[in-house]
Amino acid sequence: MARDSTLGELLRSQGVSRRAFLKFCTTTASVMALPASLVPAMADALEQAKRPSVIWLSFQECTGCTEALTRSHAPTLEGLIFDFISLDYHHTLQAASGRAAEEAREEAMREHAGQYLLLVDGSIPTVKAYSTIAGISNLDMLKDSAANAAAVIAVGTCAAYGGLPMAAPNPTSAVSVSDIVSDKPIINIPGCPPIPLAMTGVIAHYLTLGTLPALDHLGRPQAFFGENIHDRCYRRPFYDRGLFAETFDDEGARKGWCLYKLGCKGPVAYNACAHVKWNQGVSFPIQSGHGCIGCSEPGFWDAGGIYESIARGQFGTGPQIATAALVGAAAGAGAALLARSKKEKKAAAHAASE
Amino acid sequence: MSLLEFARGPAIHWSLVILVAGIIWRLLGVLVLTRGADLSRPRDAFGNFKGYRTVFSRAWPNGEFTTATRYQTIMAYLFHFATLIVVVGITPHIEFIESLTGASWPALPNALGVAIGTIALISLIALIGRRISKPEIYCSNLGDYITWVLIAAPLLTGLMTFAHIGPRYETMLAIHILSVAVLFVWFPFSKLMHAFWFVFSRAQSGLAYAHKGVRI
Amino acid sequence: MSTQVTTAGVFPSFEQVFQGFASQIGMLRQMAPKPTLTDEVRVQRAIDTLIAETNADEAVWLESCIHCGQCTTACHYFQAMGDSKYAPMRKMELYRRIYQREIGPFRWWYKLITRPIKLKDLEELQELVYDSCSECGRCTMVCPMGIDTASLVHHQRSALVAAELVPAELAALRQEQKQMGTVFGSSAEALLKMVATIREQCGVEIPVDKPAAEVMVLSSAVDLVGNGNGLLATARVMNHLGVDWTICSDGFESANFGLLSGDMSLWRKQVEPIVAAAQRIGAKTLVIAECGHAYPALRWNPMLKSDALPFDMVYMSEYLGRMAKAGRLKLTPIEGKFTYHDPCKTGRRGGAFDEPRAVLKAMDADFVELPSNKEYNWCCGGGAGIFLLERATKLRDESFKIKLNQVNATGASTVVVSCASCRLNFEAGRVKNHWDKEVASLVELVADHLIDQPAAAGTTPRQGVSA
Repeated sequence: MARDSTLGELLRSQGVSRRAFLKFCTTTASVMALPASLVPAMADALEQAKRPSVIWLSFQECTGCTEALTRSHAPTLEGLIFDFISLDYHHTLQAASGRAAEEAREEAMREHAGQYLLLVDGSIPTVKAYSTIAGISNLDMLKDSAANAAAVIAVGTCAAYGGLPMAAPNPTSAVSVSDIVSDKPIINIPGCPPIPLAMTGVIAHYLTLGTLPALDHLGRPQAFFGENIHDRCYRRPFYDRGLFAETFDDEGARKGWCLYKLGCKGPVAYNACAHVKWNQGVSFPIQSGHGCIGCSEPGFWDAGGIYESIARGQFGTGPQIATAALVGAAAGAGAALLARSKKEKKAAAHAASE
Repeated sequence: MSLLEFARGPAIHWSLVILVAGIIWRLLGVLVLTRGADLSRPRDAFGNFKGYRTVFSRAWPNGEFTTATRYQTIMAYLFHFATLIVVVGITPHIEFIESLTGASWPALPNALGVAIGTIALISLIALIGRRISKPEIYCSNLGDYITWVLIAAPLLTGLMTFAHIGPRYETMLAIHILSVAVLFVWFPFSKLMHAFWFVFSRAQSGLAYAHKGVRI
Repeated sequence: MSTQVTTAGVFPSFEQVFQGFASQIGMLRQMAPKPTLTDEVRVQRAIDTLIAETNADEAVWLESCIHCGQCTTACHYFQAMGDSKYAPMRKMELYRRIYQREIGPFRWWYKLITRPIKLKDLEELQELVYDSCSECGRCTMVCPMGIDTASLVHHQRSALVAAELVPAELAALRQEQKQMGTVFGSSAEALLKMVATIREQCGVEIPVDKPAAEVMVLSSAVDLVGNGNGLLATARVMNHLGVDWTICSDGFESANFGLLSGDMSLWRKQVEPIVAAAQRIGAKTLVIAECGHAYPALRWNPMLKSDALPFDMVYMSEYLGRMAKAGRLKLTPIEGKFTYHDPCKTGRRGGAFDEPRAVLKAMDADFVELPSNKEYNWCCGGGAGIFLLERATKLRDESFKIKLNQVNATGASTVVVSCASCRLNFEAGRVKNHWDKEVASLVELVADHLIDQPAAAGTTPRQGVSA
């Protein structure tokens, strides 16, 4: 496939009708919370879009993000978008390996300097030796690759916020992409893994409008991460009525009651799982009977146990409070005993002066 | 560290430490002081023991004073009981207490928690309204107002959090927990200690009066 | 048939007694001693006194106030004047500050952030703990925390004694009692003179200084230098009862200006001779004259180990009541509608409610309780030495109106009192308000309604024929 063909040419060559194409644009616009009036402009832009160069760097990651993306669909237009981009570098999917792969990356960076999209998954160890590719540390490769990128997309919670490698005790001194790159636009698409539609939706937005979508304070596209799982969860009426499953096997669990007490982090998790769902809308964790683990939130691995509800304390307080009690007792009794002797002295002085 | 992590972590942790240490310090610092003995002969041999009943009987002012005290007594009880019910009755609180102590009990339906919490807040507002409108009676000082604010804040933020109104849930929850932490730090150094003192202050005067044969 | 009282003209009426006292009290202000110590020393002495006198009880009460405001509803001074400074809560503020700075559990912090005590603070305290608190205890009845404001006020009076800040009239009387052992010019000689007058003019025998007796009776300066009827009535009743009684000239004074001023070493100095005399004569019962504060000075003072004493201490109304219940008081029926005012120190702060009522019952009195009665009755406003303070006149007068309305509400024509201070205050109020009610003393009422019977030694025929 020549690099210079447009998306329109590609789609026609795949037998996608104009009608299906427009339907895709409408769906994408709606998913990205863009106004319907943009659809014609979006269609035109996509029609004319040249294949953008995309470099995908994988650092300390489990490949789950790629798996989610590639596994999650039968041939769909999302798949076509993914095929449309010129994925010039991706460890799992690329055919090349070794020195040849690195050369392909460097050439793409040179040729499309200032225009290529850099996708990153996995966290970056700041102790360089912990993760290298072709002898180059993750840290150096990221800085190098980001230097001439148009924008960086941090895919998955590891790249966006540090994820599992950064969880206590953070043995590799791992950090997120935005900890390293500060001079380029960064979009975080967190999730462990992220919902595939989130990834392709962002790319589609960028392709059609040439801009980044509206982001929240954590750099996440609001279209996918602007809502609380809790607000869209179908089990919310049970939460409101105070009906909770206490164990995974009790009556409440079988009746599909709220999983708050079993550690569901829905109220503090922002993602699209509860309405977009997974595997083409089949289900999501809560529907399958397991509480949300809040995987799209920074530091979620350290935010209390997966089965500990949000309300539970996060401190080893018992012994420390007991110590506090003893300290208080000693101080109080001590203060009183000192006061008593002060009293006695005053009373004695008073009696002596009488 | 996000605001919620700070609130649920070090903030509530250290505030609990200060709460416990402060309460015990203040209690012992007073109770370990000398006790003056009353050397006079009691009116009746069992009089002293009858005095302890005032710890309970003072829960309601005598009929002599009903007209003047009725409104405030009712409002204050409404506030105290509603707050207590909410503090021990709603699921997130029971979860918190269970993580601290291991004890747990069935929770109230959430709607009831919101309703009772609202009653608590309204009665609290009624009380401050009365305090402000009759300054000559209340002789309020700064501590009275600070205490009111620090009690109202967890109630208000808790209601907002629980009913999911206002800012984002995790922010509201963090604010609620922080407001509780501030309250805990304030508690031992304020008039809120009356929660413990009332037993002793009532018993003391109950005994003194019972010694002379006067029922309160 | 009631005994004809032949004392018409022998002793002045109580109205005259009151007027006599009023002029005497007026002169006291000039006799007050002036402060001699420096401001710093006075402040330090006050603080030291409070440190020495503050126990866990006081500390707990100081810690417990929640500013609920209910005490204001019970206090006659606050209700009469409406001024916030008279709220009972206010009487604790300075004490609390001193306690928090000196012996409270966080004193190091309070020493840092609170202002040190100045003499001016103590001067301002004077009105709160002398003029406007009769230590009546009514606020404690309503306080949800059960704070004993009266005892906190008592300790503060003690502190003001150390700071030379006792109000003028009380300071003068305290000095007199300290130096002379008595007040208002009363003395052992005055006692003997009064005894002689009563024997000669009224034919009533008062056994003085018997080496041994069952019952020792106390008198008071009010009776000895003013209200002779008081002592006369006491004597007639005791003689009627036929008890083996005496008055000791070395321990006869009920009034205790140590207690009233807050000078507890003077308190002890006044109490010890009385106790010694009672022990010397082997008394089984000590009867206190109708002098309200003498009850807490003697019977209920926590520093007096009455458990170790071989005698009972009773108040006059208490003694009369016991006798009435035992059927030993033979009384004629009394005419008219009566109500009874419990002196704060013998009622709410003393527990002697039933006995005076038993006395009135023994007289078949048409008795009606005050709307607020017994432990809830209103203070007359003149106790704890306040009757003596000219500066407190408005406080007394205004708060007495509460009492006046209470009595009026009963429809009674006479209010019976059993305390000289109450009686003086009632008399003042009666005159100032042109009140149409009678004010009567319990013991005098009883004396006027004795069924005369030949009894054991001590009774003499009427008409001044000496035995």
